Amino acid sequence: MDVLIFSLAFTFFVVANPVGNSPVILALIQDFDYQKQKKIMFREAVLALLLALFFQFFGELFLGLIQVKSYALTYCGGILLSLVALSMIFPTPPEDVKQMKREPYFVPIATPLIAGPGLMTVIMAKSQEMTQWWVITVAIVLAWIPVTLALVGSPLMQKVLKRRGMVALEQLMGMILMLISVEMIVSATMMYLNS
Amino acid sequence: MTLLSMTLIFFLMMDPLGNVAYFIEVLSHIPHKQQRWVILREMLIALGVMVFFYVIGDLLLDFLEVSDASVSLTSGTILFLVAIKIIFPNSRTSRARMHGDFEPFIVPLAIPLIAGPAMLATVMLFSHKFGPQVLIPILIAWFLASMVLVMSRHLMKTLGRNGLMAIERLMGMILILLAIQRFLEGINLFMTSV
Repeated sequence: MDVLIFSLAFTFFVVANPVGNSPVILALIQDFDYQKQKKIMFREAVLALLLALFFQFFGELFLGLIQVKSYALTYCGGILLSLVALSMIFPTPPEDVKQMKREPYFVPIATPLIAGPGLMTVIMAKSQEMTQWWVITVAIVLAWIPVTLALVGSPLMQKVLKRRGMVALEQLMGMILMLISVEMIVSATMMYLNS
Repeated sequence: MTLLSMTLIFFLMMDPLGNVAYFIEVLSHIPHKQQRWVILREMLIALGVMVFFYVIGDLLLDFLEVSDASVSLTSGTILFLVAIKIIFPNSRTSRARMHGDFEPFIVPLAIPLIAGPAMLATVMLFSHKFGPQVLIPILIAWFLASMVLVMSRHLMKTLGRNGLMAIERLMGMILILLAIQRFLEGINLFMTSV
């Protein structure tokens, strides 16, 4: 049972992909100072955890009630991320100071980047397989320890990369995010056509 | 579709939780005691509009010769664009510009925030598809939404500005889910009709 919990936790960690996502997230919050960035990261990690736990218990029920199929969930993630990716590749100059300092809240960091459609689907699938619900809960919480650490630690990267590095990183990560999102849209289309 | 799902869908589309912050902002220069009455009045107007579209839905769709597929696609598209503006707010959008110093009457609270075009299209679509029983979920959802909005000041106090913002975004995300589902249903309807 112990091994199972760890393997589940590892799966959740890999699907949430905080290490792969942290450059993207960092590029999104590069305008804030170091302390603020750490705070934002921690908050988003907590929000993502809450969302993951919500989906473990009520995901199936909720999506069933509002009659949303799983391909719609994947489409949703894909479309949102592609919009974020486009705004990273073609950054528009902020209209005013207030606009520039607007914090990302929940969307797009907590969801769909960390607790995205992929993670939600995996959690729902795994909780159908398991008879004891607490195994999944423990695994999610366990997975969230490295997830949170990876997120909170990532602002360090900005200190290393400096301003120019961050601009390059934003472009590069925009491209990678676009790939991820298009992949989501493609796989959602496959699911939709097969249904 | 069950009564419960329809109620939930209507409730989410009125988006009372996502609108709490906006309601407070628009009503900020009105004395507190009066606010409740303004909210109730706006909600009643919104209900009136929704019931109106529920009643004439069939007639209107026949008159315009619009198919179910088009209504589904329309509702999905509008809802999608509205939800995108909730998730990626932009100071140029009308949502941020709509309020001035005047007392809000009909616009912007009743229409389009509560009874927006996407909501009205869905009311027409559901009443066309499921018949007269759709009125019950509309009423329940409207009642729940009114309760949430009347208590908006308390919600603001318990959740804080940041909590409300997080909820607003989450609701936007759910609206996008609903929009995509509706859109795909529209495509399905279109495919089966040709």
